[in-house]
Amino acid sequence: MNNSIIVVVIASGIAYGTPLLFAALGELLAERSGVLNLGVEGMMLVGAVMGFWAVQRIGGPGGTVLFLAVLVAAVAGAVVALVFAFLVITLRANQIVSGLALTIFAGAAGLSSYLGNDLGLAEAPARYAFQPVNLFGLNDLPILGPILFEQTWLVYASWAFVVLIAAYLARTRPGLNVRAVGESPQTADAMGISVTAYRYAHTLAGGALAGIGGACFSLALTPQWVDGLTGGAGWIAIALVIFAFWRPELCLVGAYFFGAFQALPFTLQARGVTVAPELFQALPYVMTVIVLVIVSSGIAKRRLGAPGALGIPFVREER
Amino acid sequence: MNIRIERRLSQPRWLSVAVPVGSLAVAFLLIALVLLATGHDPLVTYRDLFEAAFTANGALSQTLTGATPLLFTGLAAAAAFRMNLFNIGGEGQLYFGAIGASAAGLLLAGQSAPVLIVAMIAAGLAAGAAWALIPGILRAYLSTNEIITSLMLNYVAGLILTYLIFDSHSYWRDTTSPSAAVFPIGKSLPDAANWPTFGSSVVVPFGFMLGIGAATVLWALYSRTRFGFEVQVISDSPRAGRYSGMRTRRKILAVMALSGALAGLGGASQVGDFRHVLDADPKGLRAYGYGYTGIVVAALARYNPFAVVLVAVLIGGLQNAGSALQGPDFPSGLVGVMEGMILFTALGGELLVRYRVRIRRARRGAGAASSEVAG
Amino acid sequence: MEPTALPQTVVSEDRGVRPAIACRGITKRFPGVVANDRVDFEAFEGEVHALLGENGAGKSTLSNIFTGLYRPDEGELELYGSPVVLQTPRDGIAAGVGMVHQHFRLVEPFTVAENVMLGDQRDVGRSFRLHPRAIEHRVAELGERYGMAVDPRARIWQLSVGEQQRVEILKALYREARILILDEPTAVLTPQEAGALFETLRAMAADGRTVIFISHKLHEVKAVADRVTVLRDGRSIATVAAEGATLESLAALMVGREIHTARRSDDERHVGELLFELDGVTAEGDRGVEAVKSVSLAVHAGEILGVAGVAGNGQRELAEVVTGMRPLTAGAIRVGGAVLHSGDPRAAIRAGIAHVPEDRLHTGVAPSLSIASNVVLKSYRSADNSRGPFLRRRRIRDWAVELIRRYDVKASGPSASARQLSGGNLQKIVLAREFSGAPKVLVIAAPTRGLDIGAIETVHAHLREAAAAGVAILLLSEDLDELMTLADRIAVMYEGRIVGEVDAATAIVDELGLMMAGGRAA
Repeated sequence: MNNSIIVVVIASGIAYGTPLLFAALGELLAERSGVLNLGVEGMMLVGAVMGFWAVQRIGGPGGTVLFLAVLVAAVAGAVVALVFAFLVITLRANQIVSGLALTIFAGAAGLSSYLGNDLGLAEAPARYAFQPVNLFGLNDLPILGPILFEQTWLVYASWAFVVLIAAYLARTRPGLNVRAVGESPQTADAMGISVTAYRYAHTLAGGALAGIGGACFSLALTPQWVDGLTGGAGWIAIALVIFAFWRPELCLVGAYFFGAFQALPFTLQARGVTVAPELFQALPYVMTVIVLVIVSSGIAKRRLGAPGALGIPFVREER
Repeated sequence: MNIRIERRLSQPRWLSVAVPVGSLAVAFLLIALVLLATGHDPLVTYRDLFEAAFTANGALSQTLTGATPLLFTGLAAAAAFRMNLFNIGGEGQLYFGAIGASAAGLLLAGQSAPVLIVAMIAAGLAAGAAWALIPGILRAYLSTNEIITSLMLNYVAGLILTYLIFDSHSYWRDTTSPSAAVFPIGKSLPDAANWPTFGSSVVVPFGFMLGIGAATVLWALYSRTRFGFEVQVISDSPRAGRYSGMRTRRKILAVMALSGALAGLGGASQVGDFRHVLDADPKGLRAYGYGYTGIVVAALARYNPFAVVLVAVLIGGLQNAGSALQGPDFPSGLVGVMEGMILFTALGGELLVRYRVRIRRARRGAGAASSEVAG
Repeated sequence: MEPTALPQTVVSEDRGVRPAIACRGITKRFPGVVANDRVDFEAFEGEVHALLGENGAGKSTLSNIFTGLYRPDEGELELYGSPVVLQTPRDGIAAGVGMVHQHFRLVEPFTVAENVMLGDQRDVGRSFRLHPRAIEHRVAELGERYGMAVDPRARIWQLSVGEQQRVEILKALYREARILILDEPTAVLTPQEAGALFETLRAMAADGRTVIFISHKLHEVKAVADRVTVLRDGRSIATVAAEGATLESLAALMVGREIHTARRSDDERHVGELLFELDGVTAEGDRGVEAVKSVSLAVHAGEILGVAGVAGNGQRELAEVVTGMRPLTAGAIRVGGAVLHSGDPRAAIRAGIAHVPEDRLHTGVAPSLSIASNVVLKSYRSADNSRGPFLRRRRIRDWAVELIRRYDVKASGPSASARQLSGGNLQKIVLAREFSGAPKVLVIAAPTRGLDIGAIETVHAHLREAAAAGVAILLLSEDLDELMTLADRIAVMYEGRIVGEVDAATAIVDELGLMMAGGRAA
């Protein structure tokens, strides 16, 4: 029963989806403040490599090392995000080009590879890696057991973040302020809210979460260091935010959906069902386009749409 | 202290040259610092890079090989970005160009070389344009932001490419040759479909020459024709464009198609110049990110077609050197770091060209900054 | 131009109470203009006090000083008897002064309650968590009290303009504004909504608050205000009790001055056949509310028809409709008898309609492009300017040089960008371009706004020349002097309708002012 195809698909959806979820949550925060960050992939990779480095080099008990490694990954992602934030917020550079520049700078042929090879990280697998835990001892419940109670701490952390971020945006004053900054920076500015400060803070937070997403690969999924091991997850995360209508709860659903669709064809193949995997793998992208069309059309725009000022640099006086 | 950013009224000529050059210098300086910090000698590294890119035996030819696709995707990005259409889909449009061109080459097997080459060029242009029209139509008629749609379609294009060779028995797939039994590959194009090369000590691919031609055409189109005039007006002020009776929607479609066609031509060049087969290998055509790098090339070239040629050669050289030098002594990933740094400094410098930064002390008491609007 | 000597009926309130807000000798200067010139003002608790004046009279500047957005160059401000210095708008809010602007500062996807809470500086430390219930309750309470019910959970985009304005008022009340300033609040309201607003304002005044109501509309001022202060050219002219004043007397105070400039002599006028006809033209504004209401006008060849009105009464939308930039919802436009296809600028251009828009820099030209490019903005397709797909650049450049010379434009050359030109020179380029197309009709809006005397003279001369050559000219302007000088007939636009049309030769300024302010229909 616990090996049924549904359970396997959901379980693998969660496994593949967790890095996507972290990165998407980070991107969601940045976009809610009005910043379109296309450099997510680069931030994930830097987080992955630095997290891996931490795991290999920091001494101590396994649990502590892993926790610190995740922290290191987060900080690394945030540092890369700082460069991006400086470019697009203070220097008002084009966000698209800057994001791409960041991906090239930090990505698979860039800084992450530089660090990975220079620090000799490809030589050995991770000393410690996140393993699934048996939460409350309930892992052999039918169906729900493996899905809810036999995941790694990273997965549980991701759930906690979904709840926290959703509450933050909907129920707190800073959450209200950041939403205002993303929708209408002129109004927020007129009401005394610092657009610059909020954008910096949320872009950095986005980078940190992306870094953790990268660590999901090097500390759990793979778990070793390979050049470009995130395999384009950062780009999927960008699509995911749109697909989730910029809502944290829907990011969860979407991440597992995307994750499952990446894994599904192989699961099917293992059971002897031959199906072209590309069809499944393309579906999330196509659906994102459809969502975007709906969200951009006049009627739906107001209810469901992107933050009003997404992607536009804020300049206080333009005459 | 009050930092005010004001739009410049006019952009002095010298600034448009000084800033890119200056930012390049700053970039090299920063990179040197990174190298030093990680225990490499910057001067040695730079010298090695230069040699491997341009002066070593066969280096320049290899550089041109790498520069050719970047030339096309760079022109594609320049064509679109000039009208504030952020076509990120160059990657997918390139794949489609390759699909189209290889189909043409296979279908017309047995024809003479000129016929094949022209057909491949036409097919590459058409296929790339068609794929770019999807985000174009969505933008023109449904106001859907082209950034995300074109990005998503890159993935779909990559998956289509993979499907054609790996998971279907499509026209493109080789089913007969002995190596095909071991691993899925595409059908090889006939020899007559190989695009010619020029020169012997420095081998210039036909695609590169074609690219220079395309750059010239793009330059002429945007600076000398009515079409280009409309693009200029609409990108500067869509209101003024509407006021003058220009058809904005049609322009969006035309520019997206043009951009896609250029990227598609790059795909055709990949098939005709270099690979002679539809290459869906994950370590092949899809591994290089030509489309994305093209955007970076275009940005560095400030969207000027001729500068794109130059920058493509530069970046091509850098990438060539990077792979040639790869080994235990040479920091891998340096190429990406360098490209990124160059772009960062260029973007920062851009601010200085477009805006004037004024630092003013806030005055207390009567009076305030003079830019308040008279009520 | 000296102000005419008018009876200064200043009424001083003998309340023995200090005013809620008072200012003495307030002067505020901007480059080139004195926006407020030694203005004295006072308003009491429980009063609705109107600030009346035309555009540019200094009303907005004064109110921005009251809220702390501007600081005066000279003069003092007192609140409740104590002198204050307001450095920033936050100081103003803290002192109890709230303002409702013409352009709302609302975040559309947010609810009413969220907008009200946004940026509230009080108890910042305590309120990390939002307490929407409490705020919704307070918003509902305030709304009830003053007759402005709004659902606190509604989203802004779901509300009508009138309701959105209520949200702005609630924002100020929530921050405990005792002095509320409203800037042209009825500009975006229907008559019914305006009526509801007036009741709200009276209720707030009855509650002891002070309401300052900025307007140019006479009957409204009379309907809602206790006292009226009239500003003109930056000076405070008079303060009168609304009850005793008549619409005529207020209009006279607002507008009254002698006109000295040259009038068009009769023998210059060669009015030809009917060229340009608007028949019941109706159109919607940006917010979906009707901005042009069944306007019918007729302009003959060689005639200048002026349209007078204070900005915001539909003139901009009217100009956009007749030049194809905005679609009609009813009625027809005819050029030389042929019906013009609506909503298509190219059709208008082809029909021979030239358009000099209000917003020269952002609509009339492509600001970063060169003068040469801008000069052929509409004509680049003609055989003169292009050969096949290619532009004849040298010819275009030469043409630009010619126009620069002919119109005496001060520019460094045809490749200078349009943005670099001064207001007057920019206008000359736009005129040069529009006239060079040999138009049948010219629609020109706010032609001399922001220009110096010399430039104004030049523009007027060009307009006269065009009329003499047989062009039918529709001239929309806020400047009565200009209209009286140039136009043959003057129509007055108020709240989207034409409320009167007079012969310019016999028009009386005060009468026009009255119509412009909604006083009466001629």
